[in-house]
Amino acid sequence: MSDLPFYEASGNEIDLFEHAHRNHLPVLIKGPTGVGKTRFVAYMAAKLNLPLYTVACHDDLTAADLVGRHLIGDGATYWSDGPLTRAVREGGICYLDEVVEARKDTTVVIHPLADHRRVLPIDRTGEVLHAPDNFMLVVSYNPGYQNFLKGMKPSTRQRFLALRFDFPASDREETILRGETGCDEMTAKRLVNIGHSLRALKDVDLEEVASTRLLVYAAILIRDGMDPIEACRAALVEALTDDLEVAAALNEVVLATFGK
Amino acid sequence: MEEWIGGIWDRWITQTARRDHPAAAVHLKDIEKTLGVIFRALGGDAGLRVAAAADRHHGARRTMLQRIAGTQERAAHAALDMETLRLPPSIAVFPAPTFNRDLYVWLAALAAGAGPTFLQAAHATHASDWIVRNQQATQLALQRYPGLLPRYRRLVDALLAERFAPEAMPADEAAQESAIRQALAEPGSVSTLPPLTRAKAKALQPVPLWLYPAPPVAGTTRKNNQPNEAEGNEQPQEQQALNKRYEAERTEMPENEAPLILMFRAESIFSWAEYLKVNRALDDDPNPDAGRAAENMDKLTLAENDQRVASKVRFDLDLPAAAEDDITLGPGIPLPEWDWKRRTMKADFCRLQPMVAREAEPQPLPERLRRHARKLKNQFAALAPVRRWQKAQPDGSELDIDACVRIAADRMAGWHFSGAGAYLNHRPTERDLACLVLADLSLSTDAHVNNEQRVIDVIRDSLMLFGEALNSTGDQFAFYGFSSLKRSFVRFHEIKAFDRPLDSVARGRIAALKPGYYTRIGAAVRRATQLLDKVPANRRLLLILSDGKPHDIDLYEGRYGIEDTRMALIEAREAGIKPFCVTIDKEGAGYLPHLFGPAGYTIVRKPEELPDRLPLLYAQLTGNA
Repeated sequence: MSDLPFYEASGNEIDLFEHAHRNHLPVLIKGPTGVGKTRFVAYMAAKLNLPLYTVACHDDLTAADLVGRHLIGDGATYWSDGPLTRAVREGGICYLDEVVEARKDTTVVIHPLADHRRVLPIDRTGEVLHAPDNFMLVVSYNPGYQNFLKGMKPSTRQRFLALRFDFPASDREETILRGETGCDEMTAKRLVNIGHSLRALKDVDLEEVASTRLLVYAAILIRDGMDPIEACRAALVEALTDDLEVAAALNEVVLATFGK
Repeated sequence: MEEWIGGIWDRWITQTARRDHPAAAVHLKDIEKTLGVIFRALGGDAGLRVAAAADRHHGARRTMLQRIAGTQERAAHAALDMETLRLPPSIAVFPAPTFNRDLYVWLAALAAGAGPTFLQAAHATHASDWIVRNQQATQLALQRYPGLLPRYRRLVDALLAERFAPEAMPADEAAQESAIRQALAEPGSVSTLPPLTRAKAKALQPVPLWLYPAPPVAGTTRKNNQPNEAEGNEQPQEQQALNKRYEAERTEMPENEAPLILMFRAESIFSWAEYLKVNRALDDDPNPDAGRAAENMDKLTLAENDQRVASKVRFDLDLPAAAEDDITLGPGIPLPEWDWKRRTMKADFCRLQPMVAREAEPQPLPERLRRHARKLKNQFAALAPVRRWQKAQPDGSELDIDACVRIAADRMAGWHFSGAGAYLNHRPTERDLACLVLADLSLSTDAHVNNEQRVIDVIRDSLMLFGEALNSTGDQFAFYGFSSLKRSFVRFHEIKAFDRPLDSVARGRIAALKPGYYTRIGAAVRRATQLLDKVPANRRLLLILSDGKPHDIDLYEGRYGIEDTRMALIEAREAGIKPFCVTIDKEGAGYLPHLFGPAGYTIVRKPEELPDRLPLLYAQLTGNA
């Protein structure tokens, strides 16, 4: 398996995911943006040798978009499977990213698939698909206080095993940066140090803090020969705040780490 | 003539004697926010605030000219204690502004790394420990943030050029100066500060790169271990005009059996540097000059006692005559209260009195808020229900091609169309949101947030602007204010009810808001819940503007008040209402999570930002609805 995506485990999530897969249980992954939720699912799909069907949910996504629709062909119609139906038919992981964004009617198809029934009724074709053993439903969302109007209904939430992802510990994050970008140890250490400093500002000065993804971006720029301070300004400082005074402070943090 | 020449001489000599560089000065107030963020990002405690430090006598060597001019004998030092990071109000040590700014950044970084351990140790011991501690803190900061090293080197080199050279000093002072220079150049290399041997020796020159022990709260024993702190009111020394911290020492309250007999000879008072309370047993009038006097003093001596001055008592008695007070509406509403000790709900325990302001002249939006209001209106118009094409409607102005194709295809495939519409309809999407703002009007809102504004002024401005913003979203909203005087009189001011427009009458009522009485939040929340419950809306938001803990003069304080408030909020949530608290109480983080949950409150650290923050927060809370 040479094309296994890079993933550095933080705890027992790989083990848990495998248990869930063996026992046909759906998984819910929650955590802030850019901590590796999507990467983890991609990694597990590759590890378990399953096809992965990813759906990025948005507020106009309906059940029909997941299940499929009839299309008109040459004088006839044919049925086209949606991503969820395809995953159920062929087996594999169906990953609904940011599931709380989707419209409410999607729960109609998610619920019977996520509990012991493991069926997908398709009313348009009259079929009832039974999910094969290698089908697995994975959903993710980002709990944040910014929007209290959207949350997961308990009836949906309680059908899933839940995994919480958070910002990785320092040494793990260094390994991630190095594994992901091939940057040198010192750069990784310093970037993680900056990330750590900026995360201390959550909810006091910053609404969203530096994700691992942003650190990876900075590391890529640096490895590509960009001045570290400029790289951090583009990837971290300006990405996190519009406030000039806060930006000045974040810049000082970068300077305090990379020096000038 | 004599005075005039004296004035010129004074200006000239003061200017000439200066060794700092006023043209290059960097002021704390300009970069305060940035420094706060740096301090927190580099590991400082987020609960600390950044404040200006007061000047202190340093007693160090000065130039001949300075001695003649009588200047430069004081300097403000950076210091850290459990509540504040104190930094000099301005830094003009170096001729280049960038260096002075760098020095601020360095001090913030040093303090962030040093942490509370620094002050504990520095409190206890002496100069030798101080020099060692600062070197350790420097090493720590440089080790954690190696990028600071070039900056530190630049600062040290520049500083050494500004200091008196040891060669020009007597031996003992020179030894000290050399030790300091060594410690600055190579942090960690000096373990003791050589003592001064001569009686007339000058003290060490200030080291602007280092932290100083917080002005010691040493002195004689304290009478009460528990200081009897006035509820939510600022300690007097923090409220002074310049917002400086004064060097303070605690002393015992001189107990005087016979206050009219002078216990000392009056002629022996030479200076201000004596007790402020010179045995005038509990003076009623606060000294109007105390602020200025405090500034001129080197040291404030605080005497602690638990006897309150009459001004504390005053507001318990200031219930206005019925004819003067605001107009009451109806006989009052009985409401229950939760007794956490007995774990029972005491039915009809409180009486809430709805009222409207008596002398509220209808008025337009104040001129100074107009521009801001216009900006907010434009921003919030984006939140207003926009007309959007809604797909798959049973009726509408256009055909929904996508739906038509789908229906046609379904039909051709033999699946029968069952009810989904095939039209696009252009109509406003419903936000269907109701928001009730409950503003705390207790007496503590009379406190000043800065020189111009009191908390109540900030609340008034916030409501004015927030009203404009809400108006343009089209959401239903109401404003109420509350305060209380024991359980039988919870005052509940109607400012704008749900069914009234935000007009000049409502604005007049906002302008007429007055601080008074206490904070019985529970009853007010219960009433707000009742009001919100009657509004037909899908989503209901209860926004509480507060400035402190629940508190009333009967048993409603401490745990009792908090638990009752918590119960009232639980009831609100059960009724499908989302409570959210916006507070300016810096200690709010201590009890608010218990009441509102981790995502149910926000602390606005600078109250004057409330008018800006409130609409923003509302947009965040209700956006993408």
